[in-house]
Amino acid sequence: MEWKLFADLAERAGDRHLTVDVEPGERVEDALHALLDDHDDLRERVLDEDGQLSDGINVLRNGSEIHTQQEGLETTLEAGDELAMFPPVSGG
Amino acid sequence: MYVLGITGDAPTDSRNQAVDRVADRLGQAGRVGVVRYDATIADGAASRPERHGGDVTYELGADGDWAATGTGLSVRDALDGLASDCDYAIVDGVDRLAQPQVVIGGPARGVNDPLAIVEHPRDLDLETIVDALHERESYETLASLVETVTNASEADRAGAIATFTGRVRARDGPDDVRTKHLEFEKYDGFADEQLVAIESDLARRDGVLAVELHHRTGIVPAGEDIVFVVVLAGHRREAFRTVEDGINRLKDEVPLFKKEVTVDDEFWAHERR
Repeated sequence: MEWKLFADLAERAGDRHLTVDVEPGERVEDALHALLDDHDDLRERVLDEDGQLSDGINVLRNGSEIHTQQEGLETTLEAGDELAMFPPVSGG
Repeated sequence: MYVLGITGDAPTDSRNQAVDRVADRLGQAGRVGVVRYDATIADGAASRPERHGGDVTYELGADGDWAATGTGLSVRDALDGLASDCDYAIVDGVDRLAQPQVVIGGPARGVNDPLAIVEHPRDLDLETIVDALHERESYETLASLVETVTNASEADRAGAIATFTGRVRARDGPDDVRTKHLEFEKYDGFADEQLVAIESDLARRDGVLAVELHHRTGIVPAGEDIVFVVVLAGHRREAFRTVEDGINRLKDEVPLFKKEVTVDDEFWAHERR
């Protein structure tokens, strides 16, 4: 499963695209932990003290936000999914 | 308008052939402008028309053919002018161009990520180059977007055009540290889908006839334009409202990320709010 990271999240991870060893049928949460297990700097940035996603961190699966449009971190992954994580947007 | 640079250390003949081949191919898809940079043109020595006074001269024929010469035009000015009139522009002989380039002959200085590097113009794979060019950011100006909305099929019902231009502010007050440039990163593909979705949403409003949103990415120096919102509407009230809602929605919803580089620091904009 591939993660796309943006802005300071990509800087902390050291790459904009990272592949994690998670299979279809597992959940977004599994893909998130697989990503953060290897990247402590990123974990510190995107999780709060309780281990929840920090305010302002967006997680998208196939271009739709997981909390408002899907089942949150419980969302089940399918083959070919694209996951993205980014900070508050700042265009304009 | 899509801009393609042609550069490299091949002889002039060879580069001219490349410009001809590319212009022929692009000409099948739209109107093509060509900007030739030649450092030997100086002191009003451009070949024609002859100048008899005045700083800019246009020679016009009855059927709209024309020639021009003048002073004080940069490559950027030339592209800005073409953007409202052409679908493509070819820029010949500029090494450090912000737009995609193809290299003929040896590698030229300052060419990042060229679309192609070939020894001879006949080796250019035009179809691949055109496809790649269409994947890149188009070159837009406020005027080119206004031109686009006024070409809308319902333009005969339009009594108003309202626009917003966002630009790079060098400083926010007399004591503010000067900003050198902003650098924008976007979520490729998805950001464009969001922009199109906002455009269609706004264009469905009563009295709104056409909406264009455009946001530059990469490095945008202080003083340059970043983002445009252009609305064609029946009357001024819905035009103004829609422009304001358009820029607000773009700033809230589209996955674009801004890094600010000042004379003594750099930081992501969302970290300083």
